Amino acid sequence: MNLFKIISELEKVDPEVMDRLTHRRSALSALGDISKKMALAAAPIAIGSAFNKAMGQNNLTSVNDVLNYALLLERLEYAFYDQALKATTLTAPLTGVARTAIETIRAHELAHVTLLTSALGSAAAPAPANFNFGTAFATYQSFLTFAQAFEDLGVRAYKGQATTIKTAGNPNNVLQTALQIHSVEARHAAHIRYMRRGATAGNQTTIMPWIVNAEANGAPAPVYGAGNPAATFPAENNIMQGGLTLTTGIGATYDPADVSAAFDEGLDNTTVTNIARSTVTF
Amino acid sequence: MSDSAFSFLGRTLRRRSFLRVAGATAASSALVLAGCGSDDTETPTPTTPGTLTFSNDNLGLLNYVYLLEQLEAAFYQKVVSSFPLDFTAADRAAFIDLRDHEVIHRETLKFALGSNAYDANAGTNALVFNFTSLALTSRNEVYAAARTLEDVGVAAYNGVAKLLQVAPDGSHLTYLKLLVKLASVEARHAAFVRDQVQASSFADADVVTATGVLAGLDIVKTPVEVTALIAKYVPVTLVATSLPTI
Repeated sequence: MNLFKIISELEKVDPEVMDRLTHRRSALSALGDISKKMALAAAPIAIGSAFNKAMGQNNLTSVNDVLNYALLLERLEYAFYDQALKATTLTAPLTGVARTAIETIRAHELAHVTLLTSALGSAAAPAPANFNFGTAFATYQSFLTFAQAFEDLGVRAYKGQATTIKTAGNPNNVLQTALQIHSVEARHAAHIRYMRRGATAGNQTTIMPWIVNAEANGAPAPVYGAGNPAATFPAENNIMQGGLTLTTGIGATYDPADVSAAFDEGLDNTTVTNIARSTVTF
Repeated sequence: MSDSAFSFLGRTLRRRSFLRVAGATAASSALVLAGCGSDDTETPTPTTPGTLTFSNDNLGLLNYVYLLEQLEAAFYQKVVSSFPLDFTAADRAAFIDLRDHEVIHRETLKFALGSNAYDANAGTNALVFNFTSLALTSRNEVYAAARTLEDVGVAAYNGVAKLLQVAPDGSHLTYLKLLVKLASVEARHAAFVRDQVQASSFADADVVTATGVLAGLDIVKTPVEVTALIAKYVPVTLVATSLPTI
């Protein structure tokens, strides 16, 4: 892990990053609570979340901003599945119905790219030259772990923009279209999570199609963590809605695991983008 | 409740204004749905056919979603109370989860609506859903029924968000945030139960458009379409034509 490389990457995105962090060490000290059990792959992301404490929040104001943000995420997802289906490391394990499922998901991501590009017209941002997913395709298990992270992150990203679109007046039914993509991403996420239960994926039979507490199942923890502000974008283990603690506040006692699983939480665009940039080079 | 973001829902004085009952049995039917008033001398029975008309506002939309969650919770509760004989331990655990999620959705919406819930005063006369049209004796039948209900739920949530009417106090955004948090969980449910009926059918072309300009988009239905689909499970006539359409 090269922290300075990460900071320089962040500087490309946000030239003022060093002004926001008075000292590079403040990013490191913010990482003091990282569990030793955390997968090494997640460490750069944890740094991303440390930066978020200084910079995260939704700062997209126009519908075109939201659509270009969605387009970048969809391009990333399409590239991820396209590279996976072409990766020689996955040729053997990714077969039969598993391959068909990933092909279906890839087709959906491509359709989303096409739809968003078409909606944006001349306002569409140029595509990044390349997405480098590092060692994501090393094993079938690592591929599915990343897939879960990207799908769950995608669901959170779309959800986090719903009020922005609504406030912008929902031109051309953009809100409905965004939610029709949002629910497709959730279907993908549920299926990928279920694939991880399979023998070749490591027999991880505790993984459910829905998000229990903020369990990451080996995916980067910040994908399930709080955004900024945390009051607006709580972590996935959130048990409060509308100011109510649902485990005890609605007439009966409910298990926090069930309450957290019954609601998916949104995430601000800065947090989402930082998580993506911490995992993928583009 | 007073410190809840939902608390303004209980403030309106036009309580149950969206609940209107048509026909000759109007008086008794209204009381079946709304609870018995003290001046009521009749003894209405829950089987009296009534009409539930959703109002042309955000409360009407929320009651519509509340009814859907009631329906889903009742379905899973029915299955959980009498599992098919060929249900595995994993099936049972999953259905208990599904039941719990839907009950939590239902109770959250009920609490949010407070006195504006269409059945706030129904007491023991709350709607009893009718699942006799569903074959529920085998694992496959139960999962297929769940697939039908969950896909309707996904379509309903995808259609309802844009209909929320802008409110000066910003409450429409509070509702929107809540609804989208539920929507993706319903989609996860739908994908899961679909996969159990048929492997890898989580996003087949019957729900996610595969070709053309709408490719990659999930199913969406209007409240009028959804209420028609669920009518057979609901013991009263649902009227969704008054709900906002844009």
